[in-house]
Amino acid sequence: MKTGPVHERRREAPAESTAQISWLVAAIMVCALPHIPYVHLWIPVMVLTVSGWRLWLAASRRPLPSGWLRVPLTLAAFAGILATYRQISGIDAGSSLLLVMVAMKLLESRGHRDRAVVVFICYFLLFAAFLREQPVWAPVYLGAGVLVATTALLQTTRHAQAIPARHALRLSGRLLAQALPLMLLLFFLFPRIPGPFWSLPQRSGQAITGLADSMSPGDITELAISDEVAFRVQFDGDIPPSAKLYWRGPVFEYFDGRRWSGAHPAARLPDSRQRTARAAARARRVDYEITLEPSERHWLLALETPLQWDADHAWLGTDYALIRAFPVDQRLAYRASSVLDGITPGGDEARGHTADTRLPARTNPLTRAWARQQRAKYPDDRAFIASVLDKFRNEEFFYSLTPPALGPNPIDEFLFNTKEGFCGHYASALAVLARAAGIPARVVTGYQGGELNPLGNYWIVRQADAHAWVEVWLDGHWERIDPTAAVAPERIEWGMDAAMDRGRIGGATARLRNNLLAERLLMSWDAANAAWNRWVLAFGPKSQAMLLKLAGIPHPSSRHLLMLLTVGMSIWLGWVAWRQHHQRRPRTDALLRVYWQLCERTARVTRPRHPNEGPLEYADATARQRPDLAVQLRELFSCYAQLRYDGTASPAALAEFIGAVRRFRPRRSPADAPATTATGRP
Amino acid sequence: MAAVLQATAARLGHRARRWARKRQGTDPESLQLESRRIYILPTRAGLIFALIVFVMLLGAMNYSNNMGFALAFLLAGTGIVSIHHCHHNLVGLKLKSLGAMPVFSGDPLQFRFVLHNTGNDTRWQLELGWDGESPARIELEPGEHRSVQLALHTHHRGLAHAPRIQLRSNYPLGLFRAWAWIDMELTGLVYPTPANEARGASTGPASQRIAGHDTSGDDDFFGMRPWRPGDPPRRIAWKAYARSGQKLVNEYRSGTAMPLWIDWESEADADPEQQIARLTRRVLQADTGGWNYGLRIPGYTVVPGRGPQQLHESLKALALAGQPEAPERRA
Repeated sequence: MKTGPVHERRREAPAESTAQISWLVAAIMVCALPHIPYVHLWIPVMVLTVSGWRLWLAASRRPLPSGWLRVPLTLAAFAGILATYRQISGIDAGSSLLLVMVAMKLLESRGHRDRAVVVFICYFLLFAAFLREQPVWAPVYLGAGVLVATTALLQTTRHAQAIPARHALRLSGRLLAQALPLMLLLFFLFPRIPGPFWSLPQRSGQAITGLADSMSPGDITELAISDEVAFRVQFDGDIPPSAKLYWRGPVFEYFDGRRWSGAHPAARLPDSRQRTARAAARARRVDYEITLEPSERHWLLALETPLQWDADHAWLGTDYALIRAFPVDQRLAYRASSVLDGITPGGDEARGHTADTRLPARTNPLTRAWARQQRAKYPDDRAFIASVLDKFRNEEFFYSLTPPALGPNPIDEFLFNTKEGFCGHYASALAVLARAAGIPARVVTGYQGGELNPLGNYWIVRQADAHAWVEVWLDGHWERIDPTAAVAPERIEWGMDAAMDRGRIGGATARLRNNLLAERLLMSWDAANAAWNRWVLAFGPKSQAMLLKLAGIPHPSSRHLLMLLTVGMSIWLGWVAWRQHHQRRPRTDALLRVYWQLCERTARVTRPRHPNEGPLEYADATARQRPDLAVQLRELFSCYAQLRYDGTASPAALAEFIGAVRRFRPRRSPADAPATTATGRP
Repeated sequence: MAAVLQATAARLGHRARRWARKRQGTDPESLQLESRRIYILPTRAGLIFALIVFVMLLGAMNYSNNMGFALAFLLAGTGIVSIHHCHHNLVGLKLKSLGAMPVFSGDPLQFRFVLHNTGNDTRWQLELGWDGESPARIELEPGEHRSVQLALHTHHRGLAHAPRIQLRSNYPLGLFRAWAWIDMELTGLVYPTPANEARGASTGPASQRIAGHDTSGDDDFFGMRPWRPGDPPRRIAWKAYARSGQKLVNEYRSGTAMPLWIDWESEADADPEQQIARLTRRVLQADTGGWNYGLRIPGYTVVPGRGPQQLHESLKALALAGQPEAPERRA
C-alpha cells in the first residue's frame, strides 16, 4: 500500500532556508574566533570564503557544488594543513583541521543531519579553544558560544523554516538554563582522575619566556624586561620578608667555561634523605600554594629548600630542585612547604662534591690564577668567599641589564675588564672562583622576591624577577651566597624596579606603575585572574576531597562523590520535569477554569461541549437532553456568558458564580434527581 | 553485515510495534496523548552527540582542563533536558479523526484529522503520518487546532483499513525522537471502479432515456420526508418548518412511478469483479440521469430511490458485495 501525506494549509517547507544557513555560519564564526590569532592566515580566509559562498548559494537557491569540486577542494585543504604544520597532532594543526572540516561540511550540508554535524564540529572548536587558554572571561565565552551553536542546532534540525531569532535564542537559552545546574553538579562532583592518560601535544610556534635549562652570563636579560607572570603564591601564614624569597628553579652543576648546565635527568633524592632533611629542618617551615603559569618546562618552582609538596608526578632531585615528569603545559597549582634559612642539605653524599669543583682547563686563566692567589691568603673557605664578595663590593662593579658582550673567556673579561653585569654574571664569577679555589659551588637559577598584591593578599612573581645565585658547600651543607646582593643590595631588598632606576626597564607597565589608579586597576585585574586560577581552573581531585571534608565526610573517596552526584542528579531531574509540567499547565483566569469545571460536570450527565459551541448554545442543547436540569443549566451558562462578555463583572459576582458551580452536582439519570437542587443565584 | 543489522532492526521494530499494540489496544476516534504512551529514543544525530560529549570528557580529563569539563557537562545537561522538551512537545496533544469520504478504487482515501494544542506552549515540528510513511508536518500555536489530511492509496473495492498512525517530533535539537502510535482502526469505504465504455459494457435500456432528462427531478410532488444533509435548501418546506420546528423536504418523483431496477443478472460476466464494475457504471448513469432506481445483488437489495443518499447506498452495496463486511440486511 503506497500512501502519501497531503497537508492542508501546508507551511512553506524548503529543504533549507537562508536563515538556517546563516545560523550555521554564525555558530562557525563564534566558535572559530579564538583560533584565528594562532592558526595560519589562509585558514580563516578559507573558512570565511566558504561560509560566504555557502550563504550566497542558500540565498539564491542554487545547488551545492558537486563532488568533482568539493573532493579536490577538501584534499587541497588537508594538504595545505600538512604543508603548513608538517603534522596534525599539535593544537594549532588540530584546530586548523577542525576549521577546514567545518568549512567543508558546511559546503556539503544538504540534510539536517549534515547541518547537525556542522554544529557538533563547532562544539569541538570551542573545546579546542579552551585547550589553548582559559582566561577569566572563558565562562562568558563558553556561554555565548554554546548558546549560538545550540540555537543553530535548534534552527537547522527543523524541517520547516527557521524560527525568528529572538524566539529561537529564548528556546535554546531555556534549554541551557535548565542544563546549568547539572553542569555545576557534575563539575564539582564528577570524580576527577589526576594526570594525563596520553601525552599532550606540543604547542608549536609559541615561545614561552621562562627559565632556560642552561645559563651563560647574559641570558637572563630578556626575562628581566618581561612583565609576564611566572607564578602566583598564596602564603598560609605570615609572608616572609621579600629578601628571603628565593624561588628555586633549575640548579646547574656543569660548567664548560662559558655555559652552565644541569644534570639530565636529575637524580631523584632518596626518600630516606627527604625524611632526615625534614627532621633536621631547624628553621620554621613556610607553607604556601603556588599557581604556576604554563612554562613547557619540567621544573616546578618552590621556595629555597622544599620539604613537602603535593604536585602529582613530581619529585625532588638531589639538588633539591622540584622536577615534574611532564612539562608544565597547563596552569598548575600545588601546595608546598619549605624552610628558608639559606641552607640546603647535601643530596648525594656517596657521589661527593668533586663534580662541583670541576672547571674546564685552559678557560678563564686569569680568574683561576687570581683565585689561587686569593686562596693562599685565605685558607678558610668562608674567608675566601667573603674576600670575593668584598672584591665585588669595593671595586668598581656595576649592576646593569645591558652589559657589553663577552669574548671566549667571559669570566676573565667580566672580572678584570668590563666589571658590568647582572645576577648571571656575578653568580657565574663567584661559582667559578670558588671552584678554582677548590670549594664546591653551583649556580641556582629561579626567581627572587616578587610583588605583593594587596587586593588578593598574594604574591605575584614575574619573569622580570628571574635571578641566579650561588650555593657553596660549607660546613657539610650547601649555603646560599648571593653575590648580586653585594653589588646591588636594592635588587634583593626592593626588587628589580629599584635596581634599575625606574623606567629604564621600558615597557608600558613600568610607566603605568607610576600612576596610582592604573596600578590599582592592574592589581584588581590580576587579583581576578588569580582568584579564577586558584578556585576554578585549579579545581581538581584535591579540591574535591577538600569539599567533601567540608561537607563532613572524614575520608572522602570517589564513591562518596558518586553518591552525592546521584542524589543531586535525581533532584535536578525532578526539577526539570516539574518545570516542564508546570509550564504546560495552561495559565487561565479563574473564570475560565470554573467554566471548564461547569462544562465537565454538564458533560458527565449529558454530552461533551463541542469546541465550537458557545455557552448559550451548549446550555440549550443540554437542556433539551435533560429537561429536569434545564433551568439550572440555562441560568449557569448565561451567568458565565454575562461574566465573560459583559465586562462589568464584579469580583463578588465571580465569587458567587464559582460557588454556584461548586454546588452544581447533577445526577446521572433524571429519575433519581432530587426535587430541588441548590443553585447559586448570581 | 549491514543487511543483517537492517534485518535485526526491522525485526526489533516489528516486535516493538506488536508490543505497543498489545499494551495500548485500540484507540477511540478522539484522544489526548498521555505521557505513558509516548516513546522516546535518541536519533542517529543524538548518538553522535553523545559520542562527542564522551570524547570531550576524556579530553578534559586528560588535559585536566576545567573549561573543557564545563563544556562537556553543559552539553550533557542540554542533551538530557532536550529529552524532556521532546517528550513534552507531544504530551497532552489532542487528536481527533474525522474519517474519510468514500472514494472510487484507485483514488486515494483522504482521512481527515484535527490536531488540537490545548497546552500553553507552541508545539514544534510535529509529524503526523501513517506508521512508516512520510508524514505531514505541522506546528501548533497554543490553543490552535489544525486539520491534517493523510492520503491512503486504494486498489480494491471494499473497506480499506488504515494503518496505525504515528505522531512524532524531534524537537528541540533533533537529538531525540519522541513518538506515539495511535491505532484508531480507521476504515474508509472504497467504491468499485466503474467499467469504462471502451470495454463494451451493456448500455442497457435506461441509457437512451437518460439523455436530456431533467436532473433536478422535480416533476410531481410526491410527499414530504425528513431533511437529510445534502438536500438543496430550496426544497425545504419552510412553512412546515415554521409551524413545527422540524425540517422537512418536499420530495418529487419523475413522471413514472416505475423504478429502474439494476440487477445483478443484467450484467452477467464470468468475472464477478467485472460484473460489479459494470453495475457500478449503471448506478452512476442512473444517478446522473436522475432516475428513481434500485439495486438487486445476491444477498442484498437497495430499495428504489434517488439522490446522493441512494447513490451512496448503492455504491456501498456494490463495494461490499461478497466481502465479509457486507451487510446482511435484505430489503
